[in-house]
Amino acid sequence: MKALTEKSVVAVFRGSAFLSAGAAALILGFLLVFGLPLFREGRIFSLVTTMWAPAEGRYGILPMLAGTAAIASLGVVLSIPLSFGAAALISVFAPRRWGRFFRAVFLMATGIPTVIYGFVGIFLLAPFVREFFDAGSGLCVLSAALMLAVLVTPTMTIFFVHGFDRTPRSYLQAVDALGGNDVQKLLYVILPGAWRHIIGGITLAAGRAQGDTLLALMLSGNAARIPGEPLESARTLTAHIALVFAADHESPEFLSIFVCGLMLYLFSTLTVVVLRRLEAPFRRQHR
Amino acid sequence: MDNKLKISINDLHFSYKDKSVLSGASLRIMENTINAIVGPSGIGKSTFLTTLNRLWDTTSAEMTGKIEIFFHGVPQDIYDPRFPETTLRRKVGMVFQAPNPLPMSIFRNVAFPLKLAGKTSRGETEESVEKALRQAFLWDEVKDRLHKDALLLSGGQQQRLCIARALVLAPEVLLLDEPTSSLDEKAGAVIEELLVELKKNCTMVIVSHYLAQVDRIADTVHELVGGKFVTGRR
Repeated sequence: MKALTEKSVVAVFRGSAFLSAGAAALILGFLLVFGLPLFREGRIFSLVTTMWAPAEGRYGILPMLAGTAAIASLGVVLSIPLSFGAAALISVFAPRRWGRFFRAVFLMATGIPTVIYGFVGIFLLAPFVREFFDAGSGLCVLSAALMLAVLVTPTMTIFFVHGFDRTPRSYLQAVDALGGNDVQKLLYVILPGAWRHIIGGITLAAGRAQGDTLLALMLSGNAARIPGEPLESARTLTAHIALVFAADHESPEFLSIFVCGLMLYLFSTLTVVVLRRLEAPFRRQHR
Repeated sequence: MDNKLKISINDLHFSYKDKSVLSGASLRIMENTINAIVGPSGIGKSTFLTTLNRLWDTTSAEMTGKIEIFFHGVPQDIYDPRFPETTLRRKVGMVFQAPNPLPMSIFRNVAFPLKLAGKTSRGETEESVEKALRQAFLWDEVKDRLHKDALLLSGGQQQRLCIARALVLAPEVLLLDEPTSSLDEKAGAVIEELLVELKKNCTMVIVSHYLAQVDRIADTVHELVGGKFVTGRR
């Protein structure tokens, strides 16, 4: 009886694993099939290396690649110190009751719909950026990246907190008993043991930042050109897909969104691979 | 043995989540002696130890009373708000029931308190680490593998490593919470032997369940009864 239950449970889990892996493969296949005409004519290379000028019959997505790279990486880079500070506060520095309170707040924040962040961005952040930097409409790379940082910080923070909280109590007690303060506890004992969770949190945040559509659409200004500085407008791959998709299903532009999808797929895979390599040396050390 | 007072505990009341643990406990501990705290389990012996280095949980427990420790002969109220607990803990070392080495090399474990205290001169560190490991009867066993992971040591070796780590800052008082209870008899005997040797430099307060052990090494025995100490040589 027990053996049977165990077997069926294993079968269910295995089935779910195959199903989700299969879905990911299927999506890749779908993108490849629809983008096939582009591959066949060898146009894909020119598409990812040229500019977007549909009026002149040019549908290159290079500006969108640059836009995604700029906005997502700036957003993640901004959110790393934020998340780090928040996690340190929650699990090390704040009195226990406040720690629990902040943790609940951050957990709740992970569930706030993106569009709400977008609203806040449009009505508060963009005007602020406009006034403070005297920068046109205020819809630019910086606005989108800042809001993106706010969006991914709760997720990253919760990940970091999980890592920090896994530190064995005996280690913390040892540091306390040896006359160490909280900062030393964090630097010398908690951090080295939490490396995997830190990388995990950054990976997840990077994935979310690259994949986010709404914030970029609402805040980046959507100009299809390569941004030269954070105060310039830009368009991300995701926003481009949304904009083109909404416009016209028959046009030659339409094909280019499959290339965008493929590039996003490639970007996220690369991010995961690179970050996992960073984490690898620590895998054996801490189970 | 001289008869200088090292620790004076006066009218200590301690309660944890409204449960009284100590009620008017007083105790005088002499310099360079081994003092055993005995009594049934759960009566608050370990809690009492943590009042001596302020390691108890201040968020869910309350304490009144006065504890003075004579550091180099000068009395210090260890609960004086101007006296930082990190300073206290560097002068009052502690060894726990289960060995708790940190996930780093043997050398770095013993050098860790020096790093925490901001003493980073390399030559001095090496010297202090060797001295502490010798005091803990561990040097000969680990001198060829100082940079190996401390978690690879046997239980008895790990506990001696923790003693060495507690000794590296040359504390005047050493608190030991059943330091041999997780070890076999042979490993425990080595530790007993080294504790007796340590009396030259340290005043020790040890919680122990083993009456035979108490008989072998303790100079004074304090039994915790109803939240107070009853002192007597067994």
